[in-house]
Amino acid sequence: MMETQAHASDTLSPEERAADSTAVFGFWAYLMTDLVLFASLFAVFAVLRGPAFGGSSMGNIFNLPYVLIETIALLTSSFTCGLALLAARADKVQAAILLLSTTFVLGAAFVGMEVSEFTRLVAQGYGPSHSGFLSAYFTLVGTHGLHVAVGLLWLLSLTIAILKRGFSRGNMRKLALFSLFWHFLDIVWIFIFTIVYLMGAL
Amino acid sequence: MKNYFEEIGAWPHSHGIARAYVAGFVLSLALTLGAYVLVAQHALPQVRLVAAIVAAALVQFIVQVVCFLHLGRGSASRKRLVIFGFAILVVGILVSGSLWIMFSLNLRMMPDASQMEQYMQSQGGF
Repeated sequence: MMETQAHASDTLSPEERAADSTAVFGFWAYLMTDLVLFASLFAVFAVLRGPAFGGSSMGNIFNLPYVLIETIALLTSSFTCGLALLAARADKVQAAILLLSTTFVLGAAFVGMEVSEFTRLVAQGYGPSHSGFLSAYFTLVGTHGLHVAVGLLWLLSLTIAILKRGFSRGNMRKLALFSLFWHFLDIVWIFIFTIVYLMGAL
Repeated sequence: MKNYFEEIGAWPHSHGIARAYVAGFVLSLALTLGAYVLVAQHALPQVRLVAAIVAAALVQFIVQVVCFLHLGRGSASRKRLVIFGFAILVVGILVSGSLWIMFSLNLRMMPDASQMEQYMQSQGGF
């Protein structure tokens, strides 16, 4: 049995369990609506890719090896986020903080790489106003990047909260919800990587 | 808070969670790199290449939903599975419907040569 930290009790009362289960379910319902948002952006992108001006020849403006590194950074951060939950379950504060910090660094690297790619595209004249294809591209990829950036702020506040209060019930709940959000964003990225970048390079 | 994630239904059970994360990560990495190499090397003809990378994406989607989001057996998981299924249905209708409508419209907007001829004759040119 692990040493208990600052928390008063080690088990949840039935009311607490019901409340936190509802929180997980409700957050899951939000993620499903977010999925529909991304689906509509994918539909717009797919529709504008072919027939819009310059659409089908745009694949070669992207740097595929660069995007692969971005993809692996986000995938690895999704993995370390899962490992942080395992550390939390084992009541290992230091390990969890280390894993959450790794998740943060990888996520920040992902956002940084994406922002620098956007800057490069705009500087080369391929801004969102260049064509319907690029409008759809910036909206789809930018919306995902914005989600990741918001996730980073959440992760920062969560890490600080765990440093202050350890694995309290509130922190555990936030950790469970954050992990759903973070894994969800990696799942959306699978399709951005495949449909936008890999298919664009063909 | 030993069994917190299990109690609130975020994890279906305690066993095999670590293994699920590792398996999910390794499989996702392999599928990502595999799809990337296929495209970078142009290893297959165009149509089969598109089919292969879409298949790799769908497999990776299922792998991450099962291994990272822990959607599967268990009563808490079943409730989430229901709205997940509904969301996938909406996504399918939204994406395939948009593509169907827009490509059909696109096709109808571009008359072929015989239609163009007919139009020119009936109107005496443009």
